[in-house]
Amino acid sequence: MSDQIMPKSWYAKSKPHYFCPGCGHGIALKQLGYAIDDLRIEDDFVFGIDIGCSLLAWNFFACDTIQTHHGRTTPVMVGYKMTRPSKIVVAYMGDGGGYAIGLQSLLHAAFRNNPITVILVNNENYAMTGGQVAPTTETDVVTTTTPEGKPIEFGPGFLGPEIVRSIANKDAFVARASVSSPLVLRNTLKKAIETQTIKNNFSFVEVLSICPTNWKTNAKESFERLKEMEKYFPLGEI
Amino acid sequence: MNNNKTIKILLSGEGGQGIQTIARALLATAVEQGFKASYLPSFGVEQRGAPSIAFVIISGEDIKYPRFRHADIVMVLADRAINKTKSFITPNTDVLFDSSVIESSSLPKMSVHKFGTPATQLSHDKFNPKSYNVLMYGVLAKILRLEKEISWKALKNQLNDKFKTKKIEEENRDAYEYGYNAVLEKKKFSKSSFKTKSTINHYYNKDKKATIDPSRCKGCGLCIEKCPVGALSWGNDLGVVATPVPVVDLNKCIGCGMCHQICPDGAIFIEKK
Repeated sequence: MSDQIMPKSWYAKSKPHYFCPGCGHGIALKQLGYAIDDLRIEDDFVFGIDIGCSLLAWNFFACDTIQTHHGRTTPVMVGYKMTRPSKIVVAYMGDGGGYAIGLQSLLHAAFRNNPITVILVNNENYAMTGGQVAPTTETDVVTTTTPEGKPIEFGPGFLGPEIVRSIANKDAFVARASVSSPLVLRNTLKKAIETQTIKNNFSFVEVLSICPTNWKTNAKESFERLKEMEKYFPLGEI
Repeated sequence: MNNNKTIKILLSGEGGQGIQTIARALLATAVEQGFKASYLPSFGVEQRGAPSIAFVIISGEDIKYPRFRHADIVMVLADRAINKTKSFITPNTDVLFDSSVIESSSLPKMSVHKFGTPATQLSHDKFNPKSYNVLMYGVLAKILRLEKEISWKALKNQLNDKFKTKKIEEENRDAYEYGYNAVLEKKKFSKSSFKTKSTINHYYNKDKKATIDPSRCKGCGLCIEKCPVGALSWGNDLGVVATPVPVVDLNKCIGCGMCHQICPDGAIFIEKK
């Protein structure tokens, strides 16, 4: 059936979407779409997107979407949740928006235990501007601004969920998942949304993603590099 | 090229097709030959697939402003970029287009001088499949009467790290020469050979049913890579960005649905009856 080919919560008229061929955002948003379908929350769902590649999802879902400033998705969605507590809000961002410019917003939302869900897609670079080095890039990885590999002085890859865990409330849900196992990702996202709706706690999911355009890899090499990433970034609930 | 004339060139295509690279190479060639030149890129936020435009002016005199309203030459490489070029075309404009992806009937009505070159088809058959833009660059260099060797050198400087092996460089050189020596014809170009398939492909078996939608498939190949039994392979239909669309072998398929879960575009679905 052609209506089952994609989640019901996707806005069908905006497809094919604006992401590059093979982008991990599409996989993460597909599983988020199925999580919305399974939990039947499409009427109350509000989606906040950041600057960066994640903004290309501005018409992705058939639901209310807010586009915010760079790194300010978390505080905007916290404010939205304060005024409309019945809504289910999800802040969606990349690693540049969440860890580089918007880290203090993310940490304070976790510290205050605001009942929102933050989904952060980590592809180890600033993809929209051409693949520059990001906080999450691992040591010795080649990017456009580190042609000989990321030097050790720039620090190792940024372990975001571990930092959020150390400051967040003990009831908060903090996890890391990967696009290489979509069904695990879907269950993690469902759990994160349920933490917000049922337990009224903060939830944070980092999604390890692929970026074939800026990694300059084909499908096989993308998954090989993702496997290497999964060795450095531990998966599961943290 | 005449020394006192100003030529306004509009290059348009999709992001990733090399429009901005062609513009920079043209600029370097023109400056090398003693002309004055300007270049203004214009594209959206997407890395791939969105319309990308370059304004190029080559002149013997000083250039006051890099933008213009009407172009003397318009080059179109992709179907989806045609809309963006509409307002720049006048009856005097020469329109160069890739006739294997664009039908001349889809070009704006104002255009009279339409010159098609089946660049994608030719480079697919004779040269490297990715060298269609180099072929079109050759056509453009010829029309502007630029020096053959200088313009090739300028392009080579731009693409230096892309020519990883000698073979790729030679194939591109052949494509460039073909474009430079090609004779432009005024034909109908009513049927393009590389076109996105608009209907959905259905596959049936006695216990399984598969659906593949070429109008959404971007040809990333993640489904082929993730299939645990190797039931998917590249087919002959073309997807939305003119890349091949996978075909499924239902005798091998075990109906696990991994391709459906991994597809970022929602283009494939397999179900058990």
